[in-house]
Amino acid sequence: MKFRCEECQETMEFVSNDTDRASGVMAIRYSCPNCGRRISMVTNPGETQLVSSLGVTIGHETLSEGEAGPMDQIRRSLEGETGWIDDRGLPDPVWTEAAEKRLAAAPAFVQGMVRRLYTDWARRNGYPEVSPAVMSKARDALGMSEM
Amino acid sequence: MESLPPVDVLGQVVAQRAAVARRLASVRHVVAIASGKGGVGKSLLTANLAAALGTEAAKVGVLDADIHGPSAALMLGARGQRPQFGPEGARPAIGVGDVRVMSMDLFLKDDGTAVRWRHYGGLAEDSFVWRGTLEANVLREFLADTEWGELDYLLIDMPPGADRFETLLRLLPELRGAVMITTPSEASMLVVRRASVGAKQAGARLLGLVENMAETAESGRVRELADAVGIPILASVPFDPKLAQSTENGRPGVLINPETPAARAILELADRLRGMLA
Ligand SMILES: Nc1ncnc2c1ncn2[C@@H]1O[C@H](COP(=O)(O)OP(=O)(O)OP(=O)(O)O)[C@@H](O)[C@H]1O
Ligand SMILES: [Mg+2]
Repeated sequence: MKFRCEECQETMEFVSNDTDRASGVMAIRYSCPNCGRRISMVTNPGETQLVSSLGVTIGHETLSEGEAGPMDQIRRSLEGETGWIDDRGLPDPVWTEAAEKRLAAAPAFVQGMVRRLYTDWARRNGYPEVSPAVMSKARDALGMSEM
Repeated sequence: MESLPPVDVLGQVVAQRAAVARRLASVRHVVAIASGKGGVGKSLLTANLAAALGTEAAKVGVLDADIHGPSAALMLGARGQRPQFGPEGARPAIGVGDVRVMSMDLFLKDDGTAVRWRHYGGLAEDSFVWRGTLEANVLREFLADTEWGELDYLLIDMPPGADRFETLLRLLPELRGAVMITTPSEASMLVVRRASVGAKQAGARLLGLVENMAETAESGRVRELADAVGIPILASVPFDPKLAQSTENGRPGVLINPETPAARAILELADRLRGMLA
C-alpha cells in the first residue's frame, strides 16, 4: 500500500503518526515531496484493530509504543499493564557522542521521535547504549532509510 | 532525512513467514502433539516426551500453542520465569531436563490473569473479526521470536480444537509431522478421527496415533480408528494417576518413575519417534 500524488506522480512521504491509542483512531500523515500537498489516512477503531492484528507497520510505529522488538505483537496486544514483562531493571540505553552527532544531523522536528525510536529499539533488544552501529542495526530491523 | 518505505502489507506478512523459516533452520524436527479433542493428555504427553527425548543428550524445546489454557510451563517446572529479551529474540524459560519452553504463561502476571486482548476504542463486540488473525500472529511470534538455538526436537503442544492445526501448517510448511492423541472413549475417537482426516487434507504428515489413559493393553476400537485414518498406533499409555500427579508438579513422570508401565510406554514412544524422524 502506498499513496501517490497524482499530479506529480510521486510517492507520498510519511510525515507523522498521530494515532490516539485511547480512541483507537489511527491518523497517518503523508506529504508529496514535490508539491508539498498533504493527505492523511484515518482509520476507525475497528480498522485500526484489524491492522494491529496483522502485526504489520503502517507509518512509523503504528500501534506499538517503541518499535517492534521480539514478541512485540503479544506485548502490545495484551490488555492491562504489560510493562512488567519488559522490566528487567535495566536503565535506558545511553547515547554515545557519535550517535548524538548523527541525530543532530536530522531535521529538528523529527529528532524527538527519532531519539525515542532508537532508544526503545535498543532497550528492547538488550543494547546498553545507542551507537552509530546500533542505529544501523535498528534501521535495518525497522526498514528505515538512511538519515 | 528519515523517511519510510511505502506501506507494503503483504510484503511484511511474507517477511514474517521468512523470519519463522530462518529461526527454525536450526531446529531439526518440529512435531506437533495434537488431537482435536480436549483433555486427552496432549500436554502431559508433550512434557513427558520432551523429557524422554532429552535424556539422550538431545536438545529439546516445547512450544505451548495453547494460548488460552497454557500448561506446558507448569508440567516442565518452568513456571515463574520471564521471557528475557535480547538482540537475538526472547530467551525461553528453561524447564526440567533443560527443555526450553515458550508459553503464554510467561506473559501473564499471575495465576489470576487471563488472556484478554486490548480493544481499540472499546470495540469488544467486533473481536471475532480480528481474534483469529491476532492469535495466529501470537503463534508466529512464539516460533520466530524465541531464541530456540540449536534444537533436535521442537514439540508443539496443541490446544483442543482442530482449527489451530491449519494455522500452524500455514506458518510452518516444514512441519515434520503430528502425533494424534486419543483416549479410548467413543467421543474422543469420533473427534480425533475427524481432526485427523482434516489434518491430512490440509497437508499434514501424521506420524501416528497414541492411545492415552488406556484401560487394557490396547482397545480394538482404537485399532479401528488408526486403520480408518491410515496411520500406525505408536503407543498405548495406561491411566496412571501418579504419573499425572508428578507431571503436574513440574516433574515429568518419565524422569521420576521410569519403571512404571506408563513411563515405559512413553519412553518407548520417544524411541519410536526418534527412529521415525532420523
Ligand atoms: N495417562 C494418564 N494417566 C492419568 N492421568 C492423565 C494421563 N494423561 C493425562 N492425564 C491427566 O489428565 C488431565 C488432562 O491432561 P492434559 O492437560 O495433558 O490434556 P490436554 O489434552 O492437554 O488438555 P487440553 O485439551 O485442555 O489442552 C490432566 O490432569 C493430566 O494430568
Ligand atoms: Mg493441553
